[in-house]
Amino acid sequence: MNMMFRIAKEEWRLWLRSKVIVVATLIVAVLLAVTSVLTVNRVASEQSQRLAQQFAAEETFFAQPDRHPHRMVHYGHYAFRPPPPLAAFEPGVDAVTGQSIFLEGHRQNTPMFADTKAAADLGGFASLTPANLYQLLLPLLLIVLGHALLLRERESGTLAVMLAQGQSGVSLAMGKALALLAVIAIFMLPLIAVAIHSVVQGENGLAAVSLVGGYFLYLCVWGAIVLAASIILKHRAVSLGALIFIWLFAALIVPRFAINASSAAIEAPGKIESDLVMLAEQRKLGDGHNAADPAFQRLQKEVLEQYEVEKIEDLPINWRGVVASYSEAELTDLLNGYAENRMEQEANQSGLFKLFGLASPTIAIGSVSRTLAGTDLSTHHRFLRESEALRFDFVQSLNEVHATELAYEDDLNRSSDPEAERRTRVNSEAWRVLDEFRFAPDSASDRVDRASFAFGMLFAWLILACAVAFFAARRVRI
Amino acid sequence: MTSPLEARSLSLNREGNAVLNGVSFAVAEGEVFALLGGNGAGKSSTLLAFLGFLEPSGGEILVNGKSVADDIAAARSAIAYLPEAAALYGHMTAYENLNYFLDLAGKSVKKADYDDALNRVALPIEARSRRLQSYSKGMRQKTAIALALLRETPILLLDEPTSGLDPVAIDEFHDLVKDLAGAGQTILMVTHDVYGACQVADRVGLLRRGQLVGSFAAENGERIDTETVHAAFAERETA
Repeated sequence: MNMMFRIAKEEWRLWLRSKVIVVATLIVAVLLAVTSVLTVNRVASEQSQRLAQQFAAEETFFAQPDRHPHRMVHYGHYAFRPPPPLAAFEPGVDAVTGQSIFLEGHRQNTPMFADTKAAADLGGFASLTPANLYQLLLPLLLIVLGHALLLRERESGTLAVMLAQGQSGVSLAMGKALALLAVIAIFMLPLIAVAIHSVVQGENGLAAVSLVGGYFLYLCVWGAIVLAASIILKHRAVSLGALIFIWLFAALIVPRFAINASSAAIEAPGKIESDLVMLAEQRKLGDGHNAADPAFQRLQKEVLEQYEVEKIEDLPINWRGVVASYSEAELTDLLNGYAENRMEQEANQSGLFKLFGLASPTIAIGSVSRTLAGTDLSTHHRFLRESEALRFDFVQSLNEVHATELAYEDDLNRSSDPEAERRTRVNSEAWRVLDEFRFAPDSASDRVDRASFAFGMLFAWLILACAVAFFAARRVRI
Repeated sequence: MTSPLEARSLSLNREGNAVLNGVSFAVAEGEVFALLGGNGAGKSSTLLAFLGFLEPSGGEILVNGKSVADDIAAARSAIAYLPEAAALYGHMTAYENLNYFLDLAGKSVKKADYDDALNRVALPIEARSRRLQSYSKGMRQKTAIALALLRETPILLLDEPTSGLDPVAIDEFHDLVKDLAGAGQTILMVTHDVYGACQVADRVGLLRRGQLVGSFAAENGERIDTETVHAAFAERETA
């Protein structure tokens, strides 16, 4: 063990005395620190803004004057998804899915205000996050630092001298690995700082620690790959070239191929296409604003039978409100069917994409990262479901007020009779039917469970890379 | 009596080419044996085989009577090796290099001993705390020799040890080798320097195309005759 530390110490001495390495490391460190600080500040600001906007939206809804309840159905409401604390490190899908959604009757709107749309003029640079740096840049730094770990000794002849001192190839490789491990440990510090900050902001410690552990594992995978290449390959240029190619393959080519392959394998119709099909089906359900629509004849018969009356005018409830409520329920069933189908296809695509983690540790860590940060597709889908439940609840509650508080005659004549119109105005206290909406990520244990498969892939990568490095080190030749 | 170093019908292959073919010799305790040969004769490969870096394709290599193949660690712990290129770290000082490699060998040495060894190889005091990247080839070679001395092993393998040294330093090195042998160290050196080999060795073996083709021994306290060896060397090399 002492010998490993001794070898690692000398490797560090070499790095510290190399201006190129020190400068490269400092640039990455500064980039990492600056990106972390900027992202933490941005996410903290977004979090407080969205929370404030959620409060404001609720207060605005409650502050509406007395009016017809169906006007409130169309007045609508907003649901906001504040970024979870770990989004400061990994914004995940938030940047492309949108953060808020307008909720109103008869519609399921799509979320709005995606960062990537807001910063389209900046292209890919708009999304430089600490997670990007850890996933893409740090492996590159490890390659620069470590591609010649053992090769350098072989090329300069010092490998023979080291082995002649009685050290085995494995102990030399372990010492070099320890040196690289120390680099990885140091580069974990900004992430640890962000993780601590997230815990202070309310994140669960398990999620934060798991995220740190996941990235440590990921960088160890790269460290082991770099070490193995430096043992197996015979020339420094070949090692650097091979490792850069592996990086390009794992970090850039496979993820893009995986996206294309997942999209091709699981076809998901576009929004316009599915909306057109959905509208055609929607028309068959009838117009909830028109109680005389033939689509509601069966309902009318059933309701008249239920209340044992002959005419809708004799009903103890407002027939128009009943139709509005029935129509909304039918429509929501239809919309939910399409939405669930679309989310299932997206989830299947995402699941297939994750499997490509077997070909690229970058995909595996991306999955771990988004899941633990609470910024993955699954969390976004839950936001859509919960905001839809909120929408349906308040719309149906208002429809119930419509059905029970308003007289059918007044409702029918309110356009032509100002008195009737006045009587259809409901006291604004009724707007309190709106539930408070505070979206939060899943529990830490759920997130860790969901990330376990990707964690498993990272472990498999680490074991494989370490095994290759170990067996190569056992057979090391001068 | 067991010889510290022995090659029995040793054959070696490197990258598919035969380097040594049935070479046999033994070096006795306190003896200086010089293997003389031209480029590609298999001299350095012979040393590497004693360290277990090359596996024999035939025959056997013994260190202190034990097969190297059976116990590489024991062989390496008994041997100090001076490679041809003085492979040390340019980013370290002489002290740092010595300290590191001795640590790797599991040997604890006082700073005074470092200075003693560096004095013996006549490395200037002012240079000892400078990084080796500013050293001449000869100064690096002296540091490497100091490392071999500090190992204090019973066996010393020297690969072109005077390469890069100036004539005065070469003479000093020869004296040092004789002292070490006199103190009981067994020394196998490989070189193409006929004069140097005859100056310092008790025996000289001529290696040509992987075979030991001649042997010359010092007799009656006299040094080996350089002219005789040179003639044999030149004859063999041009044959």
